[in-house]
Amino acid sequence: MMRLALLLPLAVSAGAANAKDWTVDPAASSLGFSGMYQGEKFSGKFSRFDAAISLDTADLAKAKFDVSIDVTSANTGNGDYDAQIKAPEFFDFAKFPKARFVTTVFRDGDEGLVADGTLTIRNKSHAVTLKLTFKPAGDGATLDVETTLKRLDFDVGTGDWADTSLIANEVPVTAHLALKPKPGG
Amino acid sequence: MALSNSSVLWGSGARSLHWLMAILIVVLGIVGLYMAGLPNSPDKIRIYAIHKSVGLTVLALAILRLLWRLGNRRPTDLPMPAWQAWSAHAVHGLLYVLMFALPLSGWLYNSASGYPLQWFWTVQLPSLTGGADPALKPIAHAIHEWGFYVLGALVIAHAGAALRHHFVDRDETLLRMLPGLRRFRAEPPATTSSSLPNIEKHPSATATIPENKP
Repeated sequence: MMRLALLLPLAVSAGAANAKDWTVDPAASSLGFSGMYQGEKFSGKFSRFDAAISLDTADLAKAKFDVSIDVTSANTGNGDYDAQIKAPEFFDFAKFPKARFVTTVFRDGDEGLVADGTLTIRNKSHAVTLKLTFKPAGDGATLDVETTLKRLDFDVGTGDWADTSLIANEVPVTAHLALKPKPGG
Repeated sequence: MALSNSSVLWGSGARSLHWLMAILIVVLGIVGLYMAGLPNSPDKIRIYAIHKSVGLTVLALAILRLLWRLGNRRPTDLPMPAWQAWSAHAVHGLLYVLMFALPLSGWLYNSASGYPLQWFWTVQLPSLTGGADPALKPIAHAIHEWGFYVLGALVIAHAGAALRHHFVDRDETLLRMLPGLRRFRAEPPATTSSSLPNIEKHPSATATIPENKP
């Protein structure tokens, strides 16, 4: 009985450490995408997004990402492209200013660490799997994320714009997050 | 018809290049004027893609044509006042310059706009600016647009002069550039034969004519 009492505080502190919550350093983080237009790659980024990250690679059952993306912060560096993607046929900024990604389950398999989740763009939800690379660094960490979406799953580029010979369906997405321990987390 | 030029006739090589490019340039001009005002849509992009592909074709043909012209003697001018010969050659020279300037300024405008460039959905061509260049974009567009107006004026002058030679002066200037004029070379028709011997006597007949070179 005495022994158990001694072990108890240790177990509690270990449990707290497993539910590791992180805050994202926006200045050192990025969320980018790319596409193929007329046979040439172009790339862009979302400069504003909020990510609630709970991740401890030793306890994946408790891991969770909840990411909210300000779609209107999309920027390709090409004014003509930016004018087009805000239009109703693409992201429709006026109607759907936010996109969201929420994880369902994390797996550590042959392909490394992956997270299954649901991505919602333009109120259309689809299952998406992210490939994760998590590297602790000091008391913080970096998290690199890769996936490839199909734009037509989310009605990005409707009507005549659905022509994938003009704009490819596949849209590789990458994110680099600089994580800091959440105060009190 | 011989492929190469003779002293009195344009060969089939020069004629084919002349008329093929003439047709392509007229189509480019009409499509170019029409397409700019369209609202952005995949159809507009397709029309632009065709305009760019045909423009690149004209650029390739212009290179071929310049080489052909440099490697082939130019038929001697038919008798005409010196000012006519001089202005005709000046217009020809400017037309050569614009055959290059129009596609190149279009390519530059496309590059400065940060757009990809494909030749008929097959070959990918590089950017001339290595990415978007917002400062250069309006300049390239102005060269392309004003170059087109100058080209249009020169084409009208060139075609008008050719028609004048044909209907007013009644010489063979136009005929010898038209396709299918085999008889003229070997045995000119009786009604026009009087002008032929004059060619040989014309002061410029023996000189090689340096105009049209870049």
